[in-house]
Amino acid sequence: MTPILERHLNLLDYALTSLWRRRLKNAGIMMVFAAVIFLVASFQMLTRGLIDVSEKILTEVPDIVIQKMSAGRQEAIPLDYRERLDDIFGILKVVPRIWGYYFDETNGANYTVMALELDAMPASSQLGRAVIGEVPSNNLNGGIVLGQTVLGNLHLGGRRTFSLFRPDLSLKPLRVVGEFNPATEIMTADLILMSLADGRDLFDMPPEVVTDYCIYVANPAEVGTIARKIAARLPDTRVLTKPQIQKTYQVIFGWRSGFASICLLTALVAFAILAWDKASGLSPEEKREIGILKVIGWQTSDILALRFWESLVVSGLAFLVGCLGAYGHVLFFSGSLFRPILLGWSVIHPSLTIIPVIGGDDLLLIFTFTVVPYMAATVIPAWRSSIVPPEAAIK
Amino acid sequence: MRPTGLLLIIVTLLLMASGAAWGRAVQLRQESMESLGLNQAVTAGLGLTDLCIATEARYTRHPSISDPMAPFMDHPFAIEHFPTGSFWAVPSHIIRVEKFGGKQ
Repeated sequence: MTPILERHLNLLDYALTSLWRRRLKNAGIMMVFAAVIFLVASFQMLTRGLIDVSEKILTEVPDIVIQKMSAGRQEAIPLDYRERLDDIFGILKVVPRIWGYYFDETNGANYTVMALELDAMPASSQLGRAVIGEVPSNNLNGGIVLGQTVLGNLHLGGRRTFSLFRPDLSLKPLRVVGEFNPATEIMTADLILMSLADGRDLFDMPPEVVTDYCIYVANPAEVGTIARKIAARLPDTRVLTKPQIQKTYQVIFGWRSGFASICLLTALVAFAILAWDKASGLSPEEKREIGILKVIGWQTSDILALRFWESLVVSGLAFLVGCLGAYGHVLFFSGSLFRPILLGWSVIHPSLTIIPVIGGDDLLLIFTFTVVPYMAATVIPAWRSSIVPPEAAIK
Repeated sequence: MRPTGLLLIIVTLLLMASGAAWGRAVQLRQESMESLGLNQAVTAGLGLTDLCIATEARYTRHPSISDPMAPFMDHPFAIEHFPTGSFWAVPSHIIRVEKFGGKQ
């Protein structure tokens, strides 16, 4: 073993025994520090996990969605708008949809009702894989497919028929012909799927309007160009493109969100208290210890190395415990501590399985923002004390 | 045993636990490939645009296709009152006019 390595191993041994002497205080610091790292790492892992899922699933969203806007609000779009898009070259299909929300007064839940002619969708043949049972036909027959959470909320038991209220409070009879596969909860938990005719009947929409259009184009590279043409042709509409929709979840859970602010501000305040405590100077016992060490022959560099090892052990262990705890929190408990923030007042609680995603860059970022400043805040007061003459320190 | 040896054991145990958790995540990711295919099928088949995370308000259920006034449209000077809306950032395309000239 080289003398330098032997020296540092001995210093580390001394640092560990020194930490053990003040174990209550150091354990407290380590726990607070680990909690701060846990909070920041949990946020990063949970949001990156959700963004990862959204990036993979939302590869299949419509190329363009158009909505009619009036006085800053979305309103129903006339069906004859479709004819005004006929001569835009490159549009493969224009699919009208009726969709909206149904508030279930019995349990306070909001369901998403989606009504469309399934045959008109370019990928309609794939839908059968995700549905247990049948898919609704295009007729006005009340056949619906329910998401698993809706099915549970309605407490149907063995029944396959139930009713929802139309706007005039008359009852619309419905028949459950299928249910969405439980593995699709993250997309379909609150979904009620029915035919366009049934949706129009439920929401009592006039025959000449729908909620929006899904537009599919032949060449994905032309989405922007076609969107521009549509926006010029239909100036009272809002045109949303696939790349915009796909970017949504990167933004809503980004560093500028309120979610991030809570985690970061909490971490910052906790860390500032820790750093202030350290930077405000060493305790008289610690100063006396440094004085004694200098009297028995320790150099300033030895004392600095000792403090470096002490703070590295405390912050390094806290980093490992905090990151491991955050990984377990997201992996095994689906980020349950953050669920209230994610769900708000939602009555429907979809069962989310989130696989944490963490990269080397994230770990380096968390390490740099927590461990490095802590070590600096610890070593600087130690250096100030160690340059004081030993006889002054042990007085 | 030297104190350093004890520290080494603790660090090794923590790293082993990290490795086990990572292994479980890899296993879950492989298992989720089938559900990913099903979710892509339902998204393509119905033209869905958003994940079902918060269903309390329409602009949090479908943040990617909501209009910018949705959180404040109940009455003039209305403030937003759903919790999740306060925690999530607004998607940039909702509040910015895009190059292709879509109305916002």
